[in-house]
Amino acid sequence: MKRRNVLRAGAGLVGTAGLAGCGLLETEQRSVRSPPLVEDRPDAVYYPTHVEGMEMVGSASAGEYEVAAMYSYPHRFWTVTGSEANITEIQSGDAMHLMATVWDPETGLVLPETGLDVVLRKDGELVSEEVIYPMLSQPMGFHYGANFEGDGDGSYAVEINVGAVPGDGVRTTGDFDGRFAEPGSATIEFDYSEATKNEISYEELDNAGETGALEPMDMEMLPNSTAPAQTDLPGEVRGTATTGDANLVVSVLESPPAGIEASGQYLAVSARTPHNRMIVPAMSLAGTLTRGDSEVFADTLTRTLDPDLNYHYGAVVDSVESGDTLSLQVETPPQVARHEGYETAFLDMPDAEVTL
Amino acid sequence: MDLPEDLPRREFCKAAVAAGGASALSACLGRAPRAKNPVPSGVEDPSTLPDRQYAWNDRVRTDDRGNTALPRHQTLLYLTLDRSGPPTTGDRETVETALRTLDRAYERSNEGLVYSIAYSPSYFERFDADLPEDIDLPQPRRLSPFEEPTLDTQDALLHLASDRADALLEAEEALTGERSEANGITVETKLTAAMTVDDRRTGFVGAGMPAERQHGLNGVPDSNPVPEESPLFMGFKAGFAGNQATEDYVTIDSGPFAGGTTKHVANIRQRLDDWYVEQDYDERVMEMFSPAHAENGLVSGVGANLGADSGIDEFVDAIREHASEYGRVGHAQKAARANRDEAGNVRLLRRHFESTDDDIASLHFPSLQRGITAFEEVREAMNGQDLTDNPAIRQRVNNGILEYIFTEHRGNFLVVPRRHRALPTPRPA
Repeated sequence: MKRRNVLRAGAGLVGTAGLAGCGLLETEQRSVRSPPLVEDRPDAVYYPTHVEGMEMVGSASAGEYEVAAMYSYPHRFWTVTGSEANITEIQSGDAMHLMATVWDPETGLVLPETGLDVVLRKDGELVSEEVIYPMLSQPMGFHYGANFEGDGDGSYAVEINVGAVPGDGVRTTGDFDGRFAEPGSATIEFDYSEATKNEISYEELDNAGETGALEPMDMEMLPNSTAPAQTDLPGEVRGTATTGDANLVVSVLESPPAGIEASGQYLAVSARTPHNRMIVPAMSLAGTLTRGDSEVFADTLTRTLDPDLNYHYGAVVDSVESGDTLSLQVETPPQVARHEGYETAFLDMPDAEVTL
Repeated sequence: MDLPEDLPRREFCKAAVAAGGASALSACLGRAPRAKNPVPSGVEDPSTLPDRQYAWNDRVRTDDRGNTALPRHQTLLYLTLDRSGPPTTGDRETVETALRTLDRAYERSNEGLVYSIAYSPSYFERFDADLPEDIDLPQPRRLSPFEEPTLDTQDALLHLASDRADALLEAEEALTGERSEANGITVETKLTAAMTVDDRRTGFVGAGMPAERQHGLNGVPDSNPVPEESPLFMGFKAGFAGNQATEDYVTIDSGPFAGGTTKHVANIRQRLDDWYVEQDYDERVMEMFSPAHAENGLVSGVGANLGADSGIDEFVDAIREHASEYGRVGHAQKAARANRDEAGNVRLLRRHFESTDDDIASLHFPSLQRGITAFEEVREAMNGQDLTDNPAIRQRVNNGILEYIFTEHRGNFLVVPRRHRALPTPRPA
C-alpha cells in the first residue's frame, strides 16, 4: 500500500492552452449536471458540450502492473454492446466519476483489455465495489471508469484489482509474450471532499458538436494511450484505411514478433482515433488480402499487445506485395464505453480497402 | 445484542442467526416460544443414521415441482484443531460426543437440524500418511484470472441448517458450550473443548427472505428491486432439480471414504446496482440463463414457471452464435458446458444460500461433487475466457453474471462418511 497526497491535478492537467483555440464559452464550477447533448451529433468524433479536469488520487504498483486512480464529476457515458451504444445517465446518488489507468511500468504502455474492478472504502468500511468499464475519452484516451456513489467527505481507500489479460481474446508478443497472465491489486488512500471536487475545472465549449477533438491531457504522472506515430511504427507503413472515423494504419513487418510460431510476413493494423491518435481497442477485425484476382489471405486479425507495435490487430501472411489490396472488415466495433464526443464514432464501420 | 424490536418474528430470528450468541437465542426464543412449537427430537442411537452426511434431499422440503428447498437458516462454522500435529483419541471422543448430542437432540430434518462436518487438505497434512490417491482434494486456489480470494485452510467446516432459527442457534450454542441442554438433551461435551471456531458465517435461502433483508443492505440498490417471491438476491430461482447432480452421483463409492463427497465453498460478494439499474429484465434473463431464454420468453418473474429444469441444455451449443448475435452469453449456459458428464449427467450438486454477514449482500456457495476437479472445470467454463475472442464478451462484462459477483473466499473440504466423522486419519480403517 502506498499513500500519496492528493495532487491537485485539475488545473495543471487539462490542456487549457489547447482548449483556448476551441473557444471557451464559460468557465464555472459544476457538480453533477451536464448540459443537454447537442442536436444532430455527427457520426464522427466531435467536440463535447463541456470539458472537465480531474483530481489525481495517486498511483501504485499492482503486481506486474502500474495503476493510477483519479476522479472527476460524475459523467454520462455510453456503454457499447455489439453495435449499440446505450447511455448511462448520471444517477442522483453518484458522487464522482472514478477512473483508473493500467500500464506496463517498463514500457509505459497503457493496457486495455484487462478486467478491472474497484473497491471503494471509507474509514475501512465498504462503500462500493464495481467492475468498471474500459472507456475512451478525448482528453484521457483509453482508461477504465464508472460513476460511484460516495459516502460524504472523509478518508477513503481505493483498491484497484487488475484482471489478467484474457489470453483467448488477446495475444501478447515480443517482450510481452507470457506477461499479464496474473491478476494484481493495489490500494491507494486519499482524502475526498465535495468542496475539493467542486474546485475541479469545468468548462463549456461553444464549438460543441463540431467535428474534431479536445487535446489530450498532459498528465505528468501518467502515460497516455497514444498509438505510435506512423514513422515510429515497426515495419513499413503501407497505407491507411478509414472507417467509422477511425484510422487503421497498416504496417508490414518482415517477420512476426517473437511469440508467434509461424513464418511469413506480419500484417499489423494499428487502429487509432482521428485528431489525437489514441488506441482504439477491442474490435473484431478481419482482413482479406487480394493479389490480382486471387485471394491470398482471409482471416481474423488477432487483438495483440506488443511493446513495439503497441496495441494492434495482427496476422501472419505469406507475403505482401506491392499493389496488393487489403480489405478490412470490422465484424464487431470497438467494445469500449465512450465519453461524450466519441459515442457516435467507431460504431457504423463499413468495410474499408487500402492498396498496399 | 441490539436487534430492532419491530421486526416480524421470522425476520427477527433470521437476524438473530446472523448475530449469534446466547442473547440472540433467548431473544429469538422469546419471540417463538418453544412450548407452542416444539422442535422434533433426534434418535436414541445415532448409528442408525445414514452414512452420507450430506444426504439431505429426502430430509428437507420439496416444492410442488420437485425441486429441493434447502433449510431457510444456515450457519458455517470454520474450525481449527487446538493442538498441532495429528489429533488424539481424546480429541476424537470430544468431537464424536458433541456431534452425538446433536443427533439425539434434533430430528434429522428441516424441522430439526441437518448438518455435516468436512475436513480440509490442510487438516490431512497433519498426518504422515497421504489421502488415498483417488481422493481428489487439492488445496483451494484462485479459479479465475481476475480473482484473489482469501483461501480457507482451517481444519474443518461444520455446516448446520434448519428451517428453525431457534434450533440452529441452540445447536451452535451446545457445540460452543454456551448452554448445557440442547432440545432437552444434556450437553456432555462441547465441541470447542477440542476445536476453536475460527470463522462463523451465516445465511438464509427461500422465497421472501432476500426481499425482506434488502433494505439498506450494501450491494443492493436503494430502490429495493429484489422481488418478494425470489429466493435469492439476484431475483431468480436456481438449483432446479433437473440441473443438479443427485446425491448418489456425487458420492465417492469405494475406498475408506466411500459414502463421502468433496465440498467446495466459495463466499461471493454481490454488487447488484448495475444488475438491476443498468440492465432491464430481458437483459438479466440473458445474462443469468441464455439470450435465447429472453428471446423466446421462457422465463417469467423469478423463473418458477421453469418447473424443475431451467432448460439450459438446449442452448449450450449455441453459445458462440449467441455471443455474436446478442453480444452476451448466459451464466447457466456457460457453466453447463462443463457440468455434464459424457452420459449427460449433471456433475455438481450446488447448495448455495444468501448472506447479509457484515451488512453486505453475499452468497455462500457450497458445491458437492465426487472430486474438486469437477468444480474447478465448471468454474473455468463459467469464466468464459474462451469466449473473449469475441470482443463483445469481455472478461467480466456481457459475460454471464461475472460483472456483479466478487469471490472473497474459497475452501475445499472432504465430507467424510459419518463413520469417520470425528477427526479421521487419511487412511481410516
